[in-house]
Amino acid sequence: MVSSEDFKQLTPYLYEVPKSYREDMRVPARFYADAELLQAIKNDKSLTQLVNTATMPGIVQYALAMPDIHQGYGFPIGGVIATQLPDGVISPGGVGYDINCGVRLLGTHLDREELSPFLDDLATRLYANCPSGMGKGGSIKLAKGELDRLVEDGARWALGRGFATEQDLEHTEENGRIEGADAGQVSRRAMQRGAGQVGTLGAGNHFIEVDVVDETFDQMAADRMGLSPGRIVVQIHCGSRGFGHQVCTDYVRRFQQVIHKYGISIPDRELVCAPLSSKDGQAYLAAMKAAANYAFANRQVLTHHIRRSFEQVLAGKVDNHHLYQIYDIAHNMAKIEEHKVDGEMMEVCVHRKGATRAFGPGSQVLPSNYRDIGQPVLVPGSMGTASWVLLGTEGSMERTFGSTCHGAGRTMSRTRAKKQVWGGDLKKELEEAGIHIRAGSLPGLAEEAPIAYKDVDRVVAVVHGAGIAKKLARLVPVAVIKG
Amino acid sequence: MPTIPLNQPEGEAGFEVVEHTADWALRVWGRSLRELFTSASTGMSSLLVADLESIPLDIERYLELDAFDAETLLVDWLSELAYWAEDEQIVFREFALEINSNNALAATIRGGRADELVKHIKAVTYHNLAIEKTEYGVEATIVFDV
Repeated sequence: MVSSEDFKQLTPYLYEVPKSYREDMRVPARFYADAELLQAIKNDKSLTQLVNTATMPGIVQYALAMPDIHQGYGFPIGGVIATQLPDGVISPGGVGYDINCGVRLLGTHLDREELSPFLDDLATRLYANCPSGMGKGGSIKLAKGELDRLVEDGARWALGRGFATEQDLEHTEENGRIEGADAGQVSRRAMQRGAGQVGTLGAGNHFIEVDVVDETFDQMAADRMGLSPGRIVVQIHCGSRGFGHQVCTDYVRRFQQVIHKYGISIPDRELVCAPLSSKDGQAYLAAMKAAANYAFANRQVLTHHIRRSFEQVLAGKVDNHHLYQIYDIAHNMAKIEEHKVDGEMMEVCVHRKGATRAFGPGSQVLPSNYRDIGQPVLVPGSMGTASWVLLGTEGSMERTFGSTCHGAGRTMSRTRAKKQVWGGDLKKELEEAGIHIRAGSLPGLAEEAPIAYKDVDRVVAVVHGAGIAKKLARLVPVAVIKG
Repeated sequence: MPTIPLNQPEGEAGFEVVEHTADWALRVWGRSLRELFTSASTGMSSLLVADLESIPLDIERYLELDAFDAETLLVDWLSELAYWAEDEQIVFREFALEINSNNALAATIRGGRADELVKHIKAVTYHNLAIEKTEYGVEATIVFDV
């Protein structure tokens, strides 16, 4: 276990485990935290896992973790590593099972007071229209061969089906479609799992939330997104469903043998990897992109269902019931990007697992109305607590390969949360706080109780203080829809 | 179907839930690999439904799998069962299986459709997965992504 003697504090929010800590480390390991978050970090194996990621072949600069770090499989959640092309590795475990699990934020033209009389109905309608939970049903029916096109086109497929607007795609990371996805690198089992889940929310920590803007910190930038205190917005948190999980399973399995081919030794089976220049590495990258596109398409279909719900409940009753896209981000992904390492621009594969891309002002990949302010970063808190909209900064480009935190991070196991919290009580508590809940499973609700998570306000304060993201708006929930 | 006294931590074969921050994990054991695999599948099925004993036994399936090592075979075995639960809401609770020294498995399994699943096992992971010899047989801890 990594203990306090093993790391040193570099700045108020940044700590480092030196390369000398363990023989197999290729670079130092750095993590962001404050004194209180540090206590939680020392309680599980996340720092050991962070140190493990510093052994990845081709890794440059340092292995990183965000303040919402917690124990994962192999790689910690909240981990960011960059490996140098051409021969640096790509690791499915460095992306996560739920490839392109991410968040979408939709803006409205409504204030809280205007929505208030209809909120309960809206919550019911959203729950009815947005398929969630574990049972099957409600997914979009696909024609023969259509899933192949969906995973190669992502949100652009959804545009073709009438589930999206061009404005939606422009305001999505990668415009909702990553080039180079290949359905041919995806197993039949993954296709089987994916075919029946398009446009569904799933369960676990996935949700749809109606939020109200509580506070803004940079009104000029917030105005670009139509955010002001009292304004209603909607968040979607979900990923690539069974499709992505199967892709990860398939390649973690395949790479178990592959590592012997390349003479790579690793401390945990979930850290298996392959050089990006290899056929195996390229195959995973293409399959991962397919899963990423699936998730963009999935969030797009859910957006369509949300728009329908607003239309059904609010048309004719409020001035403007339409929703527009603010942004959509991934927080489980690997991307080929160019970053400055030791003064030189270098092509690297940035793995972000439970971490979000946070490109700073001037980045050309951003939509024109955000290019000068930086990329929106969407950080959902745990259920019933706040969520945040942040902006990417120059600091994140310089220090963390353009990355920042993704959410609150768990501190307590699902087993323990279920023992400590009864779903029925939690539901009542949240409702008494004015939050309309529609949840498919009370035990599932208990597992997601806020006490099982870190304090998202603290996590955000750390990234803001460390300069790797900038606070823009704080959101609080008024309705939560869960499976 | 062979009967093995299961779910008794002191017994010769069994399983128990262990703590894991984000997901669910089972420690499983048996006198042999065959018993360990049976403990694992029974344990996983017991995570999926509220009352495993109430699941009918009217669906029977046969499967054959092979892998390059026993851990991979174990993940493959549980992944098949997890898939049927996800896809058809079928949960199995009787297992007659054979495993040979080349990590090939053949099994006849029996179960039925569950009215409600209490958990969705999205993946069986390789996290810290190692089938280890103990004084009494073999044991492993499996982490599930839920």
